[in-house]
Amino acid sequence: MIEVKGLTFSYGKDKQALHGLDFTVEDGEIFGFLGPNGSGKSTTQKILTGILRGYGGRVSLFGEDRNNIHTQDFFQKIGVLFEFPYLYANLSAIDNLHYFSSFYPKEQLREAEELLEELEFKKDFLRRPVSSYSKGMRQRVSMARALISNPKLLFLDEPTSGLDPAGAVLFRRIIEKERQKGTTVFVTTHNMFDADLLCDRVAFLSNGNIVALDTPGNLKEQNSSRSIVVEYVYQGWREERTIEASELKAGIPFACDELISVHSQEPTLEDIFIRYAGRGLS
Amino acid sequence: MWKNLYALFKKDCRMMASGKFFFVALGSLLLYTVFIHFGYLKFMDSSAGIYNVYLYDPAGTLDGISPFVRLAASREELDEALARDTSGGVGISMTDGRPDVILYRGAEKADRHRVDYALSLLHLDGEYTPEVVGSNTPEMKQRREITCELLFIEIVAVGFLGIASVLFKEKQMGVIRVHVIMPLEKNLFIFSKVMLFLLTDLAFAALMTIFNVGPAEAGIILPAVLIQTAILSLIMALTGFGCTMLLKDFRQFSLAYLAIALFVATPVFLSANTSIKMTWIGWHPFYHVYMGLKNAFFGMPVTSPVYYICAVCAIILLFGIVGAAFSREMGREG
Repeated sequence: MIEVKGLTFSYGKDKQALHGLDFTVEDGEIFGFLGPNGSGKSTTQKILTGILRGYGGRVSLFGEDRNNIHTQDFFQKIGVLFEFPYLYANLSAIDNLHYFSSFYPKEQLREAEELLEELEFKKDFLRRPVSSYSKGMRQRVSMARALISNPKLLFLDEPTSGLDPAGAVLFRRIIEKERQKGTTVFVTTHNMFDADLLCDRVAFLSNGNIVALDTPGNLKEQNSSRSIVVEYVYQGWREERTIEASELKAGIPFACDELISVHSQEPTLEDIFIRYAGRGLS
Repeated sequence: MWKNLYALFKKDCRMMASGKFFFVALGSLLLYTVFIHFGYLKFMDSSAGIYNVYLYDPAGTLDGISPFVRLAASREELDEALARDTSGGVGISMTDGRPDVILYRGAEKADRHRVDYALSLLHLDGEYTPEVVGSNTPEMKQRREITCELLFIEIVAVGFLGIASVLFKEKQMGVIRVHVIMPLEKNLFIFSKVMLFLLTDLAFAALMTIFNVGPAEAGIILPAVLIQTAILSLIMALTGFGCTMLLKDFRQFSLAYLAIALFVATPVFLSANTSIKMTWIGWHPFYHVYMGLKNAFFGMPVTSPVYYICAVCAIILLFGIVGAAFSREMGREG
């Protein structure tokens, strides 16, 4: 679906934003693009969506070079959720969706009200102006705008930002549902929890370079210390001991009266990112 | 393309309606009309002469002179009256038994009219036949003049600020960025807004002319007035669009507008409507547009193809600049 080779981009003489990125995104994959602010995530997404031109290297989408793609055909096939819910504040959710959907062929459109219902949007607010909505409601309308044209490729920038935990779970479920329909999803985020739960593969971006690219599971496995922390009670005393995973093969290698907990010391994606990039995400 | 243009146009109409733009335009139209009918014409006293005419006739040789002529008792009094007069007064001395015209020099053509007018008030039948320069009554002349000036101000000021207020709202809401990823020709976004402002300005110009010049006269001059309005409206809407894309917020835009008002509109008004002469004004593009509008109001539309070619080129150039600024904004926003 997406193939990027040696992608470079500069905002000026001394402002090199991307230093030769290489990655591919397969059809129907959820691909996470992770990095802190200023790492080049947005620049990459802008290049992929055709907003920025003048890049170096090769970018192809839908099997065609980005430069040769007829722009309007391309935009009919993609959906974009921006980090902030950009909507007409004086129009209602329905009017916003009707307006933005009017640029697509009718046969590829989804029903606006059904879509909002799926996104658990409060019915009472359907015809009220967006200016009266909470951030979560605006994010739902924005997501509906991204999905209304049944895109084959979906770009999501911080999809769960501004949502409460229930909303975040709902969004992850909807993204997963889109993938099951065959949609390819490119997620840009610095929320490692989302990335871990959602993405088939993730790329860590730091200072315009991809420092790691793999499945979240593989990254954790490769970076795991393989140590295990055991909490137990022995002779009336509560104790904790760290052992190597291999030591567990033959059972608990020390005397104990009662086991309280056994924790594998698997790193989080954030830990791994810090290990590769030398700094955190925020 | 038409479907997309219709969607954009409909949305722009709603944006302008919610921003009370049409209400402001209608309010301006009513205010200007009331001002012209009940304020300006009375204030200007249209029954008075065009210029003050002072006569010194020591021998009292003239009979049946116009009541507009003011008599001076001596040559010194005549000179003093002329020195005090700020509205282009003309003096006539009959010291030698023949009318000797005295005036402070202004523009050559206007001076000829002043002389013609002053001499015509003496009713010197057979000796002098004034040149007929038009069929306008003084009231009609004043109506045309003030309607033209107010229309120019409306388009330059209100239309220019109107497009900025709508666009800054869209910029603030971030929705311009969403249009980047919509399957539509990006120039339609500019085209739709400019067309909406053009249609509003044309409707405003037509109503303003009909209400204040009169339906009969408006029927004659309206086509030329609308052409000049269209030129001015397109230039101002595109300039407003460009400034909105290049400037950060409405406060910066207001400062830019002040600069435009001070350095662009003021010299044009001063040069075209007062006796202040600026030798360089011929190089000022807005002077030609303003004079084009004024001449259209007086039934003498610009016929020079150079003027129209320059106007079309300016509009195309502005559209190109606005397109580039819009693309830059789309990539930068967010």
